[in-house]
Amino acid sequence: MSEKRKAVRTYHRNLAIMLGIMLLIFVCIPLFVKSPYIMNIFVLVFYMSTLSMAWNLLGGMTGQNSLGHAAYMGLGAYASCLLITKAGINPWFSAILGMVIVGLVAGIIFYPCFILRGPYFTLVSIAFGEALRQFIINSTFFGRASGVGLPFGRDSWLNFRFGSKIPYYYVGLAMLLLVYLLMKKIERSKMGYALRTIREDEDAAAAIGINPTRYKIMAVVVSAMVAALVGFFYASYIRYIDPELMILSKSTESVLPAVVGGAAFVEGPLVGGLIMIPLSEFLRAKYSSILPGINMLMYAVVLLVVIRFRPTGILGWYMHSRVKTFIDTKILLKPPVEVLEEVELAKMSGKE
Amino acid sequence: MSDSKIIEVQHITKRFKGLTAVKDVSFSVREGGITGMIGPNGAGKSTTFNMICGYYPPTEGRILYKGQDITDKKAYEYTNMKIARTFQIMKPLKNLSVLENVVASAYFGHAAAKSEREAKERAMEILHFTGLYEKRHILSKDMGTPDQKRLEMARALATKPEMLFLDENMAGLNPAETEAAIQLIRKINESGVTIFLIEHIMQAVVSLCEEVIVLHHGEKIAEGTPAQVMNDPYVMEVYLGKKEGANA
Repeated sequence: MSEKRKAVRTYHRNLAIMLGIMLLIFVCIPLFVKSPYIMNIFVLVFYMSTLSMAWNLLGGMTGQNSLGHAAYMGLGAYASCLLITKAGINPWFSAILGMVIVGLVAGIIFYPCFILRGPYFTLVSIAFGEALRQFIINSTFFGRASGVGLPFGRDSWLNFRFGSKIPYYYVGLAMLLLVYLLMKKIERSKMGYALRTIREDEDAAAAIGINPTRYKIMAVVVSAMVAALVGFFYASYIRYIDPELMILSKSTESVLPAVVGGAAFVEGPLVGGLIMIPLSEFLRAKYSSILPGINMLMYAVVLLVVIRFRPTGILGWYMHSRVKTFIDTKILLKPPVEVLEEVELAKMSGKE
Repeated sequence: MSDSKIIEVQHITKRFKGLTAVKDVSFSVREGGITGMIGPNGAGKSTTFNMICGYYPPTEGRILYKGQDITDKKAYEYTNMKIARTFQIMKPLKNLSVLENVVASAYFGHAAAKSEREAKERAMEILHFTGLYEKRHILSKDMGTPDQKRLEMARALATKPEMLFLDENMAGLNPAETEAAIQLIRKINESGVTIFLIEHIMQAVVSLCEEVIVLHHGEKIAEGTPAQVMNDPYVMEVYLGKKEGANA
């Protein structure tokens, strides 16, 4: 019994060390990588994976497929940019305000369509994105099609503005980690169980006392707020936004890392993002000059192969693979997850 | 055991467009007991069941729970009133493990778990009680019918109900599995939960229920102890057909 407990403790410790090393590698990358191009890819990975985690809360955990996440991101970017340029509010504060605004808008717009079941949410999310984009293109206040630029100037943490990519790298990494921890927290909470119950069966959810509409709204609001945060980060990084940000294909881009990595897992978007985004950049840099569009074609082939042969995503495959067993027994020294949980539960029943 | 009525159904009627599925049905469920409802296919059992459980409102009539009118309550409001139900067509949370299925329920209801640890503890208890403990890490979609039926009950029990509605919990089980299910239902009842069940299997109804209600064509045709009901000439006619030579 205590032997088992010890084994579990060792396993936990080794896992923590492994994750710590991985984190350390990411922290150290800017010290060695000097190419701004590579740095840009990392920053791209960070914010796109974060956006994909936001999508995954709805698509993966709640089973509500959104195709409008670029619109939340865009709206968040616009809200914070306009607050900075027109109202002169500090960027950090305007990020929070932007998140609140987008959360409210998403909650109000999607409340009616969550009373219905089925694909309505997906349809409305497409329409919402497109309508918002058209509205912004035609609104002088939002700068029409020419977009909004953020002021350049001296490097400053207060104004979140830098010439170098390194600060953005670290802020992006921090944002990714914070959102990951938030999602992990949600997954294990009452809300997480409610959302997954709703994903599996709404009648079953109601039978155990879950109000499906209420939890779906909560999910869409949190998801939209995270997307708005990504929008703020994007705007501060690129320092210029235009309505193209909200185009439908951008929404699809936010779905891909989650689907490829494994939408059933909180870690899915991280794994998917780390693989698909550099791949997409690599293909573009390497092949688009040879034959325009060939990079897209190759990307599509990779995507189709993953979806065809690993429909549960890379993590869905990994969790039942020999690779995991190997890592568990040889590197982390034994306890696979089941044994680990068994000890934890044995402790519980021992307490009674 | 008290003699008070926990559920009172008063003259409920349900019409779907032109079709009257249930017509002016009244009965009550005694607190602490096991009450059964039987009837041939299409008799309106499931419709009655779903009306009582809040899945669709009755066209006419009232439903009282502990003297309080719950006719218009939404299905998800029932859990907090200490009422739980199962589904005839099982609705396991397919892509979650058996344990997670039950943990999700433990987070809700009048005695909702406050933490994941508490929810898991409750879930483990229930899994022991329902005999699913060994299978807790299996995905619920990978289990057979008997275990999925058990899981339905486990999920309902994790909300700590005082009143449990079972919708054909033994349909599709073989005699041995049926016997095991009967034992489990009796055990649940002995732990202080009032049970109302719909069942096709006579063996189960006769051995479990103290009171039986018979529906036919959406109307209540008999009510009483299993022995009384089984000897009722009309019930026999409905179930077995008319006796040869009997008067019309």
